[in-house]
Amino acid sequence: MPDSLTPDPEQLRAWLSAAAQRDATAFRALYDATSPKLFGFALRILGKRELAEEALQDGYIAIWNGAGSYQSHLAAPMTWMTTIVRNKALDLLRRHGGEAEIDGRVFDSEIMDALQDPRANPIDALLVSRDAKALAYCMSTLEGLHRQVVGLAFFHDLSHSEVAQQMAIPIGTVKTWIRRSLERLKTCLAKGERA
Amino acid sequence: MNIRDNPALCDKLAAEYVLGTLKGGARRRFETLLRGDAALRRTTAEWQDRLMPMAEFSASAQPRRQVWKAIERRLGLARGHAAWQFWRSESLAFWRSLSLASIALALVLVGVINSPLFDRPQVDYLATLLDDKARTALLLTGDSRRQVLTVRLVDSAPVPSDKALQLWAVPKAGAPRSLGVLSGEGVIELALTDAALGDDVAMLAVSLEPRGGSPSPDGPTGPILYKGNWVRMM
Repeated sequence: MPDSLTPDPEQLRAWLSAAAQRDATAFRALYDATSPKLFGFALRILGKRELAEEALQDGYIAIWNGAGSYQSHLAAPMTWMTTIVRNKALDLLRRHGGEAEIDGRVFDSEIMDALQDPRANPIDALLVSRDAKALAYCMSTLEGLHRQVVGLAFFHDLSHSEVAQQMAIPIGTVKTWIRRSLERLKTCLAKGERA
Repeated sequence: MNIRDNPALCDKLAAEYVLGTLKGGARRRFETLLRGDAALRRTTAEWQDRLMPMAEFSASAQPRRQVWKAIERRLGLARGHAAWQFWRSESLAFWRSLSLASIALALVLVGVINSPLFDRPQVDYLATLLDDKARTALLLTGDSRRQVLTVRLVDSAPVPSDKALQLWAVPKAGAPRSLGVLSGEGVIELALTDAALGDDVAMLAVSLEPRGGSPSPDGPTGPILYKGNWVRMM
């Protein structure tokens, strides 16, 4: 059932606004619909199950407490919740500094394959949202190393110089690649280019 | 640094802020600017919408059940699951007493109802709804041929005048279906439809709702007072 795996943004919005009214039932539904994705994401950032669960917990506490201030005209509900969980995960990553290993692969291999050739390996099969499909397609148009630089920065919260160190390339090159990749993604997403 | 007159720079900083590569003092300065600048907040939100879906590029994973339990505990949502998903918190003892009571009552009633004293309404379904102390509160009989569902209030608590009892069929999956509001006293007749008898019905339940019934299309809004299940008598 793809519907249960890629929740409709309108449904998420409704649950969020009910949660803002302290509706615990709606909040549970929101958790059930979104936690596998957000947990997978936290796991990717932190690498350890216990830490990822802590990030998820902190994240949903903040989501419940902040539901009243969520502004639906500014960001999609999943974007808003992802940002919250990401911040909690990154807080934990900083606190547990050395523990999480930096994973140069960054993306799961099947997603990587789908990114490299969405036509041969349809990303639709991976049950991600429309926004994620569009982004996946646009990322597939980036050069492999550029894509890796963007992924490292996003998933591991690395600075330009840390990315440079990880990949053994000059920092100036990293800055240029990131700037160009972001511009390229913006243009690509604006055009609504699709696979 | 005044970046307001430089939309290209605003865009670049917002993008790197969201990506995470804007660090240290530059990040803190950007956050200060964000607080006072609605246009910059919008630009940043746009970048979040663009880049955050990257989170989905990691495979989904199921967190352990303890995570939700901990969230529930920390937020004081002790009964944070849907009010109608009460079976999640019921003890085994309740279910034992429920089934024993149902069987005992069913045996008695089969005798009474289908005796020649009655002008044979074909009662083929029977349910006793119990309160949380396993006392019988309501008795339901269903005549699937005439499609009549009869509800007898046996020993239910008095209902305030601004409230009403509402009867639900709770399916194994999905939201409960309303079978009707129990207005009046004594014996109430409702239509007996597939909503009540479908194979997917896991249980019958009565909730306390505002007069006129639950305002939510998704199910009960008030507490569940009574519950039980059909016994088919054929």
